[in-house]
Amino acid sequence: MIADPLKTQATSKMMDMQLREVAPASAHHEFVLEVNNFNVDYGVGENMVRAVNDVTLKLRRSQVLGVAGESGSGKSTLVYAMTRLLRAPGVISGGDVTLNITNDGDSDEVTPINLVTASEKELRQIRWSHVSIVLQSALNALNPVLRVGREFHEVLKTHRRELTKSQRHARSVELLKMVGLNEDRLARFPHELSGGQRQRIMIALALALDPELVIMDEPTTALDVVTQREIINELNELRSRYGFALIFITHDLSLLIELADEIVVMYAGAIIERAGASELYEAPRHPYTLGLINSFPPMHGDRRELTGIPGSPPDLAELPEGCSFAPRCPYAMARCLHEAPALLNIGDSDRSVACWLHTGDSSVTVPVELSRSSSPSRAHVTVLQDHT
Amino acid sequence: MSEITTTPAQLSVRHLTRHFTTRVPGRLLHAKRVVRAVDDASLDLVRGQVTAVVGESGSGKSVLARMLARIIAPTSGELILEGTTIPAGAKRTLEYASKVQLVLQDPYASTNPVHRIRHSLERPLLIHGAKKHDVEDLAKAALSRVSLDPPERFLDRYPHELSGGQLQRVSIARALCVKPDVLLADEPISMLDVSVRLGILNLLKGLCDNEHLAVLYITHDIASARYLADEIIVMYAGQIVERSRGTALVDEPTHPYTQLLIASVPDPSDPTSQASQSDEHSSYAVPEVGCRFAPRCPFVMDVCRTTDPPVFQVGEGHTSRCWLYADRPEAVVEMALPERRREGETTKT
Repeated sequence: MIADPLKTQATSKMMDMQLREVAPASAHHEFVLEVNNFNVDYGVGENMVRAVNDVTLKLRRSQVLGVAGESGSGKSTLVYAMTRLLRAPGVISGGDVTLNITNDGDSDEVTPINLVTASEKELRQIRWSHVSIVLQSALNALNPVLRVGREFHEVLKTHRRELTKSQRHARSVELLKMVGLNEDRLARFPHELSGGQRQRIMIALALALDPELVIMDEPTTALDVVTQREIINELNELRSRYGFALIFITHDLSLLIELADEIVVMYAGAIIERAGASELYEAPRHPYTLGLINSFPPMHGDRRELTGIPGSPPDLAELPEGCSFAPRCPYAMARCLHEAPALLNIGDSDRSVACWLHTGDSSVTVPVELSRSSSPSRAHVTVLQDHT
Repeated sequence: MSEITTTPAQLSVRHLTRHFTTRVPGRLLHAKRVVRAVDDASLDLVRGQVTAVVGESGSGKSVLARMLARIIAPTSGELILEGTTIPAGAKRTLEYASKVQLVLQDPYASTNPVHRIRHSLERPLLIHGAKKHDVEDLAKAALSRVSLDPPERFLDRYPHELSGGQLQRVSIARALCVKPDVLLADEPISMLDVSVRLGILNLLKGLCDNEHLAVLYITHDIASARYLADEIIVMYAGQIVERSRGTALVDEPTHPYTQLLIASVPDPSDPTSQASQSDEHSSYAVPEVGCRFAPRCPFVMDVCRTTDPPVFQVGEGHTSRCWLYADRPEAVVEMALPERRREGETTKT
């Protein structure tokens, strides 16, 4: 189901109307975002490279979805395309993205909006007030010749026209307070602030209009570990207070395990494993996930040699036949080299993995490290570790 | 452990200091401010050992590495290579460069994109006096040492044709091909993908164990320092605040900054780890007098604000620059002494 991008643009209005008719507006949706069979390509024709391959995911309200993956795994492309921020030669070549926005006043009523077909005008209304995005480099995201306060004023001026100048100022001060910054920062230029402060400003801006969904693309990667910790704590607090859903993209799996409710692991443009955060850490099912977890040297216990993952991430233009991880996989079987595994649920659990080891085939022996069971509660695990 | 201490250091630095003078923005031309990038750092790089320097950006760890490579001249202090003190103000020589080599953070930025890998490897060989008909074999040997096999496949490639991990191996090979005794690695893995980082760390460890190189590993990732290092040094605002042999520093941190650093590391196996700190720490200027960490320190005392703390011995081969350990006066080590040498025989004040 590859759609012509030009054609979808033209029929967007019609499609959108249809969609609204089909889904009754009064239905309460537990999901804020639904992505189905989403494909994104770079370029067209012969030189086309598929950067996001058949991604399906759902995000519940007030939940944190972590997207983990290495460079080139398609994690940033996924969110740029999802929010229609992707520029040429990036093309959405299939699938749909539905954002269920709540109407003001009545939180039970939602309006589904198809982001793939939405017009620029509709997108303008959704962006920032319903979905906002925080990018990796706050220094590049903030205008260097504007004082920070101007950024806040412009957002509020565009989207909250009823506010007076003094009300806008009051709201800006309130937003800065929310992220633990002093109000005198409003008069500063971005270069006068530290990296952590700039990233806090970006978070405050993202929250300016109380969005339901905030997307963060490696927001802490350029920061020190201490500053990263402060931002993460801040974020957790803000989330519990305002209840927005969060998509957090990072290559740092150990950070995600702490922050996210659910984690999807991406490799070569596709989701290869999806599970609850603690399940993923305690009982990884995909060999790549296991390799990633073992790539972080531990802070406790004896020092022992770790091996990481042999080889290097694949080139999307020359993906191997079969499973894209097979050339680096220590458990690769003959089948892996020819057939690509689909992302399937494991048994009757709600976690899924794309690996031939876990298709329930009795002739395949699952290695013990990929069949560990996750413990029912984390407290239990901590106790166990204390004893060993 | 004793045999380690008796091994003579390949490269030592004593009281190495570098200050930069900058103009205060918005003031008169005469208003100058001194940034103490590195203050009074002493350390020994020993063959067959990895010394890790951990610190956040701006802690002076990269300036330290560049002083050791003699790319930046120190304001004061001395470098001792194989027991010979290098005179202050002396020019960096080819001989020094052949003994001490630096590997930088971003392999894409440190290799020439318009030249093949062959060029990057053969050029230093020719500069260091290798015979023209030998250089290809030497370059191949260097690539094999960093596990890029077969080397022929890589010699005629361009940097953009290699992955980040492979290219970082090339830059390590380039440093190795002049047969240095000391390898300085400035954040060699921070630009690389998570899955290939361990490969580079294990390569450094292997070079250290099998070829007895002295390795300085500079990082902001304390977990990787713990994984790799024989000695860990933590820097804050240009000063060495804590150092230990082995993993003592990570397992039992004594300096409040090290404690904060370790509590901040995301640790999936310990979900209770939650360091929190006052807001806007980053805006704290480093104080002119007293302990540099005092404005951020949760245990700050009056003495911290007035007097720079000396270095205290807090365990075997483990020292900390913090007044909290002043109740044990016998533990005082003279400021910035090469502690490694004085292990066991603490100096009384």
